[in-house]
Amino acid sequence: MTALIQLSGITKVLKGQEEPRTILDGVNLDVHAGESVAIVGRSGSGKSTLLSVLGLFDRADQGSYILTGDDISRLPERKAAKLRSSHFGFVFQRFFLLKHLTAAQNVAMALVNGQGWLPRRQRKVKVMAALEEVGIAHLAKNRPSRMSGGEQQRVAIARALVREPRILLADEPTGALDTETGALVIDALQAVTARGCALILVTHDRDHAARMGRIMHLEAGVLTERTGATA
Amino acid sequence: MRRLSGRGRSALIIGLQGIRARKTRTLLSMVSLFLGVLAVVVVQAGASIAERALLSDMELYEGVDGTVVMDMGGTSPRLGTIVTSTVAGRSDAVAMTSMQAIIGEPGVRAVNEGGAPFDGSWGDPGPPMECDETGCRELPAAEIQPKGQAIEVRLTALTGNVRQFRPYRPQSGQWLDFSTMPSLGPRLVLNKEAAKGFAQYSVPAEMRVPGASANMTPHFVGVVDDGDQQPRAYVRLDELSHWVPEGKLVDPNMGEVRVLMVAGTPVEQVLSTKLKAVGVEPMVRTVNSKKDMADQLSLMRLVFLAMAGLVLLIGVAGILNVGLATVGERVEEFALRRAVGTPRALLAGIVLAETLITGLLTAALAIGASALALKAVIAFAGSSQPFLQGMQFPWEAGVAGVIAGLVAGVLGGFIPAIRAAGIPIATVMRA
Repeated sequence: MTALIQLSGITKVLKGQEEPRTILDGVNLDVHAGESVAIVGRSGSGKSTLLSVLGLFDRADQGSYILTGDDISRLPERKAAKLRSSHFGFVFQRFFLLKHLTAAQNVAMALVNGQGWLPRRQRKVKVMAALEEVGIAHLAKNRPSRMSGGEQQRVAIARALVREPRILLADEPTGALDTETGALVIDALQAVTARGCALILVTHDRDHAARMGRIMHLEAGVLTERTGATA
Repeated sequence: MRRLSGRGRSALIIGLQGIRARKTRTLLSMVSLFLGVLAVVVVQAGASIAERALLSDMELYEGVDGTVVMDMGGTSPRLGTIVTSTVAGRSDAVAMTSMQAIIGEPGVRAVNEGGAPFDGSWGDPGPPMECDETGCRELPAAEIQPKGQAIEVRLTALTGNVRQFRPYRPQSGQWLDFSTMPSLGPRLVLNKEAAKGFAQYSVPAEMRVPGASANMTPHFVGVVDDGDQQPRAYVRLDELSHWVPEGKLVDPNMGEVRVLMVAGTPVEQVLSTKLKAVGVEPMVRTVNSKKDMADQLSLMRLVFLAMAGLVLLIGVAGILNVGLATVGERVEEFALRRAVGTPRALLAGIVLAETLITGLLTAALAIGASALALKAVIAFAGSSQPFLQGMQFPWEAGVAGVIAGLVAGVLGGFIPAIRAAGIPIATVMRA
């Protein structure tokens, strides 16, 4: 089966005022549809940079990025934005909900992004379906200030899912939650793999990583796969 | 109607959400912009009102724009006959001829000799003169009549309704009715200055006109504002001609014969030909007051608009300031929007949509305030300033306000929009 994502030889060097620093050093990674992958590693190991490259927030200096068979290594920003909208969903450590919008409006934000236009009624159906999927449809009209951390993160997951992405990228989604709530969030995230969506989870939490199908370890910019015994 | 594109609608929806979320900031932007837009609206409205005021006065004595005016001088005894026979009964041309008339006690000099205004603004009229075809001479002392209860007016005889060309403003009573049979007693419509004289002095209703077969008993039917400072009365020419022979209808000394006509009427050519045949060379011109005045007003308007523009720029600086602060606060929001696929152009569009909506709202407020102020001015000063009566808020001022609001929105939102579009997505990753 062709991989959804194929990274090969991805290198990213940070060129600041100091000496150039290699953040990603020849990273290779294949991710298939419906697969869940955990990326673990110490702080500053390049996990978030890798996620940035995967999510087309940033571009690698070297290497190739094949997405569903197409080389997107040197994609212009306009096309990258289109792909982010059509193929990716993002969940961040902080939920980034807009406090002046209701849960439903926060989810709808991903639909009102200038990439095609959905009539209001269709938007509403999709938003409610996404909220239903993460089990908080009853909170649709609530503003973030009236929701718990777990509920807010589930709204963020619904926002990531509402466009039915093929890849869900989650950067420390449980970092701001207690253990129990974090586990519920991981449940919600893992559930999407059942419908063929690939899940790439960056986490420090070994338990959450262990629940993923594969665990990749990033150390000094080098990505290696860990077996169950070493995880 | 063409619908907005998906991006346009997205920008509008998100922009409106942004405005609703930051009402106080929007209000502050509007406050800073309000004076600037108001200045533009007021200057434009003021210019339009001034133009209308000047034009409305000019129309009274020059005629409405497009009117063809034919003036003719000369002492040909056939002048009156030619003009009246050519123009009488036509709706596309009106002839007007003026002569001296003294209304009041017979055998006395008028209190306003020479048809002077009653406020004495013309000064001493000098010794009484006697005029005929050969010229004017000072009257011998023995022939000078004593001053008495009489008023001298310029009597303007009309072949038709001149108000289609000169929109005299009715003050009281009614205007001359040309649809009825001519009356033996000439009906007069006075101008405001003449009416002032008749209100000031009680004079007998007897009218002397040089060359008339007898003194007439006039009937005053109304008063109009014709913009003239000199006392004047208007009369139907066919009513006057019962008493004054056609050859005498043109005053040889004050020979004012004028024909006002619509452009393109055959009267102009026919009359010119007839007059040239008797040695009278008519002078023809077309009234174009608006253009003449527009040239004069445009410079003044430009100067005032430039000043208003400066005030507007201060408002733009206010929007810019608030806009930059808002973008600074919304870095995460914009980064997140980019993360979910919003293109940079749409982010810029969202910021611009917010400032444009703010500009438009401000423009609506400024236009509303100006329109209300104009209504108040009309209510308080409408009776003393006739040009204000029935005045509507000039649409040009509304358009200028909307344009000012939009321009301010674009100028004030441009730099914040560029900033918003340049926010890196990685902001959300580093948070």
